[in-house]
Amino acid sequence: MTDDRCWHPDLLRRFVPTPYVFGRYDGPNRFLVESNDLEIALNVRQSVIAHRQADRNGGLICKLIRDSANPDDGSEITIVSNGTLRVLYLGTGTILIHDPERSELLGFVARNVKAHELVSSLIPALLDK
Amino acid sequence: MVCISIDQTALLHSRALCFAGAACDLRTNSPELARVLEALSITTDEAAQSGFHMRVVVDESTVEGAGEPHFRGLHHVVTASFGRSNMFLFDILRRTLSARVSVGVARDYRFWKEKLIPITLGVLGAAMGLVPVHCACLELDGDGLLIAGVSGAGKSTLSVALSEEGFNYVSDDWTYISQSRDGIVAHGTSAPVKLLPDAVRHFQNLRGHRLQTSMNGELAYELDVAEVFGAQVERACEPRWLIFLDRTQDKGAVFTPISYADARVYLNSSVERLPPQLGDAAAMREQTIECVALLPSWRLQYGGTPQFAAKELREFVAHRRQEICV
Repeated sequence: MTDDRCWHPDLLRRFVPTPYVFGRYDGPNRFLVESNDLEIALNVRQSVIAHRQADRNGGLICKLIRDSANPDDGSEITIVSNGTLRVLYLGTGTILIHDPERSELLGFVARNVKAHELVSSLIPALLDK
Repeated sequence: MVCISIDQTALLHSRALCFAGAACDLRTNSPELARVLEALSITTDEAAQSGFHMRVVVDESTVEGAGEPHFRGLHHVVTASFGRSNMFLFDILRRTLSARVSVGVARDYRFWKEKLIPITLGVLGAAMGLVPVHCACLELDGDGLLIAGVSGAGKSTLSVALSEEGFNYVSDDWTYISQSRDGIVAHGTSAPVKLLPDAVRHFQNLRGHRLQTSMNGELAYELDVAEVFGAQVERACEPRWLIFLDRTQDKGAVFTPISYADARVYLNSSVERLPPQLGDAAAMREQTIECVALLPSWRLQYGGTPQFAAKELREFVAHRRQEICV
């Protein structure tokens, strides 16, 4: 038995590299956008963070993965809230998760969802209670 | 847009449950689901260090069964969906599973038994001091035997053969390990034993049972080991030995000691890498894996039937016990 048997398939896609990173501090608030998709990273930086700074809503860490393997199955939006997390599903392939206590916005974006749609309708629907 | 609030004050049916030693505080709006999960709950003397919360809203408007599974995870959150009506959200830091399911899935005893409970223990286990290891587990007179091996190595057929040799059955594929005051405890779930089609050559009583498509797409017999083979089922035990199965073409059985380092490599390969956000859980898991890797470990290379290997293992256990007594 050798060390090459110690292999961890990333079935959940937790460890997809996110080379596009934008960050800034606004006083005590930290804004960070990480993505594997430049278009998503740029759009989120421009839209979500600017909006959030204007609203003085505190910092936000965003990690959004463009997930080509995800099914793009349907256009129905479902929002599930459990008191601590709020999750938006578009079909089952696009999943956005907001954890307000930890100021985190996490998600997987199916290939059929455009970056513009993500920032103009899906993320606002998730964040605006 | 559909909005679903999993508001626990509206989930009027609550139960205190236990799965593989982990306490589960269930709240749901469905008395039917509460009964299904209660039937699966197993209380043991040895509980894991902490438990988890399960909040399930059953949507009475849909009966859609469990569809294709789809899993994703980032930081401390893991999501699972089984079709569009069945969504599960695991918050590992807060040790909470929140879900919205159809009436069809709420009633589906096998779905909870074979899929959702093992998945939940696998995902939330790290935060509860419960480590899934890819091992079968059998027990004889209080001594637990963990049997490791890659898929297809013969863990399940050997587990059934060992239960016919007088061992008590704990699990055939995945075992959940927790730490206790005195050492470690191995827990089974009520998951069925899964035997591949060629097992019918070794177990006559498989004839008459139907092959089913299991969660990974394989055709297999998925059976209640007590019902079909008359096995005595034990829910938890204290593991004493770790055996690595290695099937060969040559008839016979050879036991060779395995080093701590090799045991550790195998055990680490059983668990998923955790993200930095779950550093405490990863550290706790490391400690438990270390305890398992420190068990006396052997590689069993064998050729022949599972019944032959079971007899060899029974003799091996008897010898090890004599050594301890001497």
